[in-house]
Amino acid sequence: MKKKNDDQLLQEAREKVSQCDRCGTCLTVCPLFGVQDVEKVSARGKNTITRALAEGGLKPTADVLAAANFCLLCQTCVTNCPNKIKTDEAMINVRQYLMDCTGGASAKYRAVGWMMKNRGMIKFAAGMLSLLRKSGLNRLFPHGMAPEEYTRTHFLTAFAGPAALGQQTVTADVPLTATTKVAYFQGCGMKMMFPEAAAETVEILKTKTQLLVKDNVCCGIPHLAHGLREDFLSLTKENVALYEEADIIVTDCASCGGALKHAASYFTDDPEWKDRVAAFSLKVMDLTEYLVKTGYMPRRKVDATLTYHDPCHLVRGQGVKNQPRELLSATGKFIEMKEADTCCGGAGSFHMDYPDISKKIIEKKQANIEKTGASIVVTGCPGCLIQLNKAAKASGGKFKAMHISQVI
Amino acid sequence: MTKEIVARLKKIVGKEYVMDKLEDRICYSFDATFRDSCPDVVVKPANTEEIVKVLQLAHQHGIPVTAMGAATGNSGGAVPLGKGICLGLTRLNRILKIDVENRMAIVEPGVITDDFANAVLRTGLLFYPPDPASSKISTIGGNIVECAGGPRGVKYGITRDYVLGLEVVLSDGRVVEVGNQVDGDMCGPDWTMLFVGSEGTLGIVTKMFLRLAERPEAKQTILAVYDRLDDAANTVSTIIKSGTIPTTLEIMDNQTIRVVEDYLKAGLPVEADAVLLIEVDGSKVEVERQKEHVINVCRKCGASDVQVAVTNEDIDRLWLARRSISPACGKVSPTKFAEDTTVPRSKVPEMLRKAREIADKHGIKMLLFGHAGDGNLHPNIMTDRHNHAEMEKVELAVKDLFRAALELGGTLSGEHGIGYMKAPFLKWELGEVGFEAGQKVKAALDPAHLLNPGKMFTA
Ligand SMILES: Cc1cc2nc3c(=O)[nH]c(=O)nc-3n(C[C@H](O)[C@H](O)[C@H](O)COP(=O)(O)OP(=O)(O)OC[C@H]3O[C@@H](n4cnc5c(N)ncnc54)[C@H](O)[C@@H]3O)c2cc1C
Ligand code: SF4
Ligand code: SF4
Repeated sequence: MKKKNDDQLLQEAREKVSQCDRCGTCLTVCPLFGVQDVEKVSARGKNTITRALAEGGLKPTADVLAAANFCLLCQTCVTNCPNKIKTDEAMINVRQYLMDCTGGASAKYRAVGWMMKNRGMIKFAAGMLSLLRKSGLNRLFPHGMAPEEYTRTHFLTAFAGPAALGQQTVTADVPLTATTKVAYFQGCGMKMMFPEAAAETVEILKTKTQLLVKDNVCCGIPHLAHGLREDFLSLTKENVALYEEADIIVTDCASCGGALKHAASYFTDDPEWKDRVAAFSLKVMDLTEYLVKTGYMPRRKVDATLTYHDPCHLVRGQGVKNQPRELLSATGKFIEMKEADTCCGGAGSFHMDYPDISKKIIEKKQANIEKTGASIVVTGCPGCLIQLNKAAKASGGKFKAMHISQVI
Repeated sequence: MTKEIVARLKKIVGKEYVMDKLEDRICYSFDATFRDSCPDVVVKPANTEEIVKVLQLAHQHGIPVTAMGAATGNSGGAVPLGKGICLGLTRLNRILKIDVENRMAIVEPGVITDDFANAVLRTGLLFYPPDPASSKISTIGGNIVECAGGPRGVKYGITRDYVLGLEVVLSDGRVVEVGNQVDGDMCGPDWTMLFVGSEGTLGIVTKMFLRLAERPEAKQTILAVYDRLDDAANTVSTIIKSGTIPTTLEIMDNQTIRVVEDYLKAGLPVEADAVLLIEVDGSKVEVERQKEHVINVCRKCGASDVQVAVTNEDIDRLWLARRSISPACGKVSPTKFAEDTTVPRSKVPEMLRKAREIADKHGIKMLLFGHAGDGNLHPNIMTDRHNHAEMEKVELAVKDLFRAALELGGTLSGEHGIGYMKAPFLKWELGEVGFEAGQKVKAALDPAHLLNPGKMFTA
């Protein structure tokens, strides 16, 4: 597909926010506005900036790009907005546009983007990082790439990528029979950060089906979120070709699921790929969707209190809310926490760019988890898991954070 | 705005609380109305002392100052038409005291309405009744200077009824405390009320002494369905005349019901010409009596169906319908004009009839709903502001609405205020003499016309 022209991107963004009537409903719900009371942080402010850019009142500068980047893409504003204004999508457009005008993606994102595109690199990236650290080379990396503490965790969330794109998707309605070919899509975050959990996912899936395991590439969402749209498109094509034989594609990463399900909407004006990508998107299911649909019973009962954190990509991006809760209730004693669906502040690389803000957000989450008295907080996204692990550590062992595959 | 002034502002409130970059300023150039006007600088002070210094500086240099809470105003009060300084007040967000014994609270203006209301609820004994639909977002300060109202107004009154006293910074930076913390205070004229509804044109409110109400023991929610709008409207005054003052008495006409049903699919009676949503509260015994009474009156006045919400889910479902009007409207047309024409309760049937006539006459789409119990109606005109031909009709219709309300002894605004939007019509309501007196009050308190220029008496 041809690169979208800048003006088109901006007009698209403007179109998306044009029905914002500035009622302010999105202010108090935005996790970022909650910790930084400045209007440009809110969706209402971001929509204003988008309009001003499109109408020429505001010039594309690095500061404006920073404002567009300061968004978790968590969709909380969209869900609460009376007019369902898609500020998150508009921000992705605006980022791409500004990236193009201000001289391409920043060095940091380009470096990450390149590693993600390269299959080999992903495999040893984690190892490489510890090597870099040992040799002190990490100082050469731009801030945030390999910080002193949490190296693996910090670095890897970049791969989880910010929130899902587009409207809530529909669940795949392929009938599941004995002959249905089910494939696993392994996200980069799961592969590198939580291989044990990924292995559990495979185990669980194997109890249900003859699983196809593929050597897939990145879902492309980190690239898309940071203005590397072309990379996103080419990665998607690669995955589409790879999974053509599967009837159902199951993933245990909320972000990948969101990106794959939404991929179709990025190819609508590409005659060659349009139908293929559309068919692909419709086959994608989150692990919990698939398990509930096939009547999965947890392998064991656990004598523990569990609570659940909704990944943005799953609850708002894909409308998956009840399935994980059902599975957890069947496993142990489930307790709902307050604001379970509030973003954890990880949001892809957001926490690396704005560590202080991200910290404030996860502190709120930690308090809500502690209030339930649960010993395990469960989630379905590696990005969130990293944040929740930080919370678990900060709580001094009051609770542990786990991927849902490790619990059910 | 000179660099020197910006630097001095930074000295007063701290660097990070002064914003003069364009991408920041445009985000403070509007409220929930249509006009934009970009301030030269946004200043976010933390306390009264800083506000005093900012106003002194502004006074010295003749710089206009427009206060802003959450910028949810529906009449344009917070739009900085005079440019100059936009004074953001959300950092003054402390609840200083909730005094159960004396049933009062002291709060700063930047506290979000719901945060305050919830804090009061936690006392278990008291509550803060004013409940504008924007309460999750709006600030208490904004509520006071717009005199916000809500569904509970029928029984509990509007924001005005809960203000005991205020601390106000005048345009030259001097501070006055009006009213008192004591309920029974009446020393000289009621200055406090001068500032209630003043929309930041007379002074900056920096502290508020608020009255609290006793929390009722029980409540009951009732939905009455009508084949004729007129019957529903008659029910409103009949209920109150015959001895029950409900907490809430909301009306929705057929068009509103349909729009909400399209949006919610909650099984609302779409064939009905109108419904009333009624809530009563008080002691358990009292609620039972009121409920029976309300049901009887509704039936007598011609209700075709009366439903009593039994479970909490039922209650939520009914309220959800009412609360969904605004979002549902968003789906119908790009622009809506939310008017708040208010008439004496006894004139509600006539006002509703007239509003329908006006809509028909100009051929525009108008939803009729609102707090019928205190005469505060919300004719919402659904249109597209980019459609110029239709906008002309809308303007004429709005004028007709105002005229009709005034003829019935009502008012232009029950709760949304005057701002710039209704300023051109203020004279209609106040008359020449009243308007001139208003201008004099404004000139006495703000001789240089620095506070919120372009609004109310200085539009
Ligand atoms: C979705 C929606 C629903 C609404 N529902 C209702 C409703 O049910 N009932 C109702 O009455 N209104 C309603 N409104 C209107 C609006 O919310 C109220 O007028 C509210 O009181 C405004 O509060 P704010 O903090 O947003 O004030 P702003 O809009 O920021 O300011 C309002 C005015 O007050 C001035 N001001 C603000 N703070 C101070 C201060 N401390 N000292 C001096 N001046 C100050 C500003 O200059 C401006 O003139 C609604 C608005 C929206 C968007
Ligand atoms: S809630 Fe929606 S319409 Fe309201 S200000 Fe936010 S984005 Fe705009
Ligand atoms: S997507 Fe999330 S972080 Fe971004 S503006 Fe909306 S609520 Fe705020």
